[in-house]
Amino acid sequence: MQEFSPSTLLALVPLLPLAGAILTVLLGRRLGAKAHLPAIAGIAGAAAVAVMLLAATARDVGPAHGVHAEPVRPVEMITTLWNWATFESAYTPPAGSPAADPHLTPQDLAAGKDVRSFSIPVALRLDPLTATMLTIITCVGLLVAIYSTGYIHDDPGYPRFFALVAMFVFSMSMLVAASNFLLVYVFWEAVGACSYLLIGFWFTKPEAARAAKKAFLVNRIGDFGLAIAVFLLWMTYGTLDFHDTVSPDGVIMPGILGQTRFADAAGYVGGALGTAICLLLLLAACGKSAQLPLHVWLPDAMEGPTPASALIHAATMVTAGIYLITRSAPLFAACPGALTVVSIIGATTALVAALIGTVQNDLKRVLAYSTISQLGYMFASLGTGTMLGFTAAIFHLLTHACFKALLFLGAGSVMHAMGGVIDMRRFGGLRRVMPITAATFLVGAAALSGVAPFAGFFSKDEILAALHAKAWPAAHGDHHTALAGGPIHLASFASDSTHTAGVAVGLDALDRPETWQILFWMSLITAGLTAFYTFRAVFMTFTGPTRVPEGAHGHGHSHDAGPAVHDGDTGHHHDQHAGHGGHVAESYESPWAMTLPLVILAVPSALIGWLLFSTNWLAHFLSATPSLTAPAVAATATPHAFHMNLAIQGTLAAAIGIVVAAIGHLGQRSDGPQLERFLGPLQTLFSNTFYFDQIYSALVVRPLEGLALVAALFDRYVIDGTVDAIAEIPVALGGIVRRSQSGLLQRYALAGVMGVLAIVVLLAWQLRG
Amino acid sequence: MNTMQSLPLLQNALTVGAILFSLGLVGILTRRNLIVMFLAAEMMLQGISVSLVAWSRYHGDWGGHVLVIFVLTVAACEAAVALVFVLQAFSRTGRLDSAAWQSLREATVGRTVDHELPSIDTVPPQFPTLAPAGILPAADENEPLQREHV
Repeated sequence: MQEFSPSTLLALVPLLPLAGAILTVLLGRRLGAKAHLPAIAGIAGAAAVAVMLLAATARDVGPAHGVHAEPVRPVEMITTLWNWATFESAYTPPAGSPAADPHLTPQDLAAGKDVRSFSIPVALRLDPLTATMLTIITCVGLLVAIYSTGYIHDDPGYPRFFALVAMFVFSMSMLVAASNFLLVYVFWEAVGACSYLLIGFWFTKPEAARAAKKAFLVNRIGDFGLAIAVFLLWMTYGTLDFHDTVSPDGVIMPGILGQTRFADAAGYVGGALGTAICLLLLLAACGKSAQLPLHVWLPDAMEGPTPASALIHAATMVTAGIYLITRSAPLFAACPGALTVVSIIGATTALVAALIGTVQNDLKRVLAYSTISQLGYMFASLGTGTMLGFTAAIFHLLTHACFKALLFLGAGSVMHAMGGVIDMRRFGGLRRVMPITAATFLVGAAALSGVAPFAGFFSKDEILAALHAKAWPAAHGDHHTALAGGPIHLASFASDSTHTAGVAVGLDALDRPETWQILFWMSLITAGLTAFYTFRAVFMTFTGPTRVPEGAHGHGHSHDAGPAVHDGDTGHHHDQHAGHGGHVAESYESPWAMTLPLVILAVPSALIGWLLFSTNWLAHFLSATPSLTAPAVAATATPHAFHMNLAIQGTLAAAIGIVVAAIGHLGQRSDGPQLERFLGPLQTLFSNTFYFDQIYSALVVRPLEGLALVAALFDRYVIDGTVDAIAEIPVALGGIVRRSQSGLLQRYALAGVMGVLAIVVLLAWQLRG
Repeated sequence: MNTMQSLPLLQNALTVGAILFSLGLVGILTRRNLIVMFLAAEMMLQGISVSLVAWSRYHGDWGGHVLVIFVLTVAACEAAVALVFVLQAFSRTGRLDSAAWQSLREATVGRTVDHELPSIDTVPPQFPTLAPAGILPAADENEPLQREHV
C-alpha cells in the first residue's frame, strides 16, 4: 500500500475497465472465444481496488460509537487529474447571491474584483458514498461479466458485449467518482449511451432496436433536465465543483457541496430558484432511474441481453438517480417542497409499478417493474430528507443491487435453458430440473419480498421507518417533534425573498404529516404487492408439474460444455411431452459460469441486510459523506433503532402477499389465470401498464411524427427540389459541348489546328495597324 | 553578307518549309493510318527545320542551325517512342486505323462508325520471275504472306 496512494488507486477504478474495454475493442476479433478476458481482468482489478478503497475509507471514518450517534466528521479525498478547460473572467456573481464574496463592498464589485474564471477540473473524489457505489458497481459488474461468458457465448457480438460492459463500468465509476457537476453530466450521458448500445445489442431484432431508441429518447428528457440544472447551478453558485477549491492566490472558492458552504447559514438558495434546480435534478433522476412519468423505457429495455439488464437496468445505472439526489442532499434540504415531490413521485411509482407487476407474465418484465417499484421506494426514502431516509435509500440500493442482480441472472438462466422463452405460462416446475437456479432465485425473491432474515427486509424496514418518522413525528421521540412543523427548518434558508414565488410555496405546503401518512400507507401496500408478484413469479416458474417449452434444449444447450449436457434423443423426448406436465428426466441447469455468480450473489442477498443493520455499519459509514454532513441533513440524524411495530407491519404485508400468491399460483395452479379472473377490468388496466405508452403515443409521439413528416416532405420536395434544380444547370450547359467529345483523334487535331489558326488570325488582326 | 543576294534565298527556303509544313498538316488531318500520321508529323517538323535554317542563314547566326540539330535529335527519340506506341496499338487490335481508338469519348456520344474499309485485295502479289539459280527453297505453308489488315 505504500507505493499506491489512495488517489492513484481511485484513478485505477475507472481506468482498469477502460483499459479492458479498449483492449477488447482492439483485440476482440483475434481473441475470439477468449474476448472476455481483458474486460473481466479490468473489472476484477477495479473491484479489488474498490474494496481496498472501501476499507481505507472505512478506516478513516472510524467505528460506530454505540447508540448515541454523534456528529461524524466528513471524510473526503479529492484527486484532480488535470484541468479540462479554463475560461477566464467567465462569471461575476450577482450581489447578494450565495456565490458572492461577502467581504467585498459594492464598490469592489463594481470595480470587477469578484470576477471568477470558469474551470472544469477532472477531479475524482473518494468519500463513503462514492466508495459504497464503486464497490457495488465493480463487484456486480464482475459477477455479471463472469455470468455473461456462459450466457452470450457463441454470439457473433461476443467481444462487443464485453467491450460495452467494461465501458459501462468505466462510465459508471466515473459518474459516482466525479467531483464536478459537468463531469457528472458527461458520464451521465456515457452510461446512457452504454445502456442504449447494450439494449440494442441484438440490433437486428426490430424490438430490441426500438427499445434501445425508446430508452435513449426518454432518457434525453431527463438529461435535458440535468443540463438545465447544471446551467442554473453555475449561474447561482458560480462553480460546478462539489469540493472547495483554492485558487493560486490562496482564496478559497466554496464548492457546491463543500465544507465552506455547509458552514455558511445562507449557503444554499431556497425558494423558487432552489426548487427549480431540485426539480430539474429530480427530472434527471426520474429519467435515469425510471420513475413516473419517465419509467416507460425500462420494461422495454428487457429486450437487451439479460446480463446487461441485471447490471445496468437493475443494479447500477438505474441507481444513478438515487446517487445524484443523495449527493445533492444539501440542495434538496433547502427546498422541502422539492423533497416532498421526490417522495410523492417515488411512492406513486412504487405503487403503480407494483400493480403492473402483478399481472405481467413475462418473467423479466415482472422483474423490470419490480425494479421500478424498488427504485420508487428509494426515492420515497430520499424524499424524507432525513439522515435516516438517505442512508436507508443507499442501504436499499445496496441490498437491491445484490438481490435484483441475482433475480435477473436467475431469470436469464431460466431463459437460457428454456431456449429464449421467458413467458412464465409456458414453463413450470423448474425446481426439479434447475435446482441451483431455483434455490438462488428463491433467496432473491425472499430478499425482494422482505422476508425476515433476508437483505430486503432490513433495508425496507429502514425506508418504512424513515417515512413513518415523517408521518408520525411524535412517535419518534423529541428529536423529531422539533421538526414536525417544517421538517428541516431550512425553510428559513430560503431567505432570498425575491426568488420566492407561488409554486415553491405551494410545493412546500405539501410537506405536512398527512402527505407522509398517505405515502407511508402506499409504501406498505407496495410491500405486500411486491411479495405477491415476486412469489407469483416464483410459483409459476419453479413449482407445479415440470413443463418445458418445445425446443428448449436446442437453443440453450446444444453447445454447452459442463454439467448441463443434453443429447438429441432426450430433447426430442421433451418436445413430445411439452405442455402436458410431462416428466423430465435430466437437468436443464446452466453451466457453472452462470450458476457460480448466482450462488455468490445469493450469499449477500441473504446476509448483508442483517450484517449491516445489526452493526449499523453502513448508516454510520455513509453519514461521513460530506453531502450528508451538511447541518441541514446531519441535524436529522436519529439514534439507530429497530422499529418492531414497523417490522411487524412490513412482515405482515409480505406474508399476505406471499399467501395470496400461494393461493393463486402454487403447485398445480402454477400456470393458471386465477388472478386475472379475480381482478376483472382492473386486470386490463394493469396489463396495459396504465396505458402510459398509449398516452405518450397520442400526446407526444404522434404529434412529433406529424411534425417530422411535414419536415421530411419540406426537405424532400422544397429543399431537395431546389438543390436538384441548381444541379441541372451545369448538366444542361455541358450538354451543349458534350457532342464534341467524340474520342476521334482527327477531330481533336482539327480542333487544335482551328484554335491555332484563330489565334494567328487574331494576332495578325491586332498587329495589322 | 549581301542582303540582296540572301533575301530571295530566304523566301525560297521559307516557301519550301511552308509547303512541307502544310503537306504534313493536311496529312495528319486526313490520314488515319497511324504510321502515315506519324510520318506527316515528321514532315511538319522538317518544314519548321527548313525555316529555321533559312532564317539562321539570313541573319548569319548559328543559333537556328543548333536548334535544328536539337530538333532532329528529339525527333529521333520521339520516333522511337511513337513507333513503340504504334506497335503496341497494332498488336492489340491488329489495326493501324486511328479511329479504332475512340473509347475516350463522352459516355452519351455513340461510337463513330464510318463506311466500310476497302476490301483487301487477296490476289497473291506477283513477284518478278527470275531464272532459277539453284534449288528452290521449300515454302512454309503456315507463314502468312501478308497481314489481314493494314
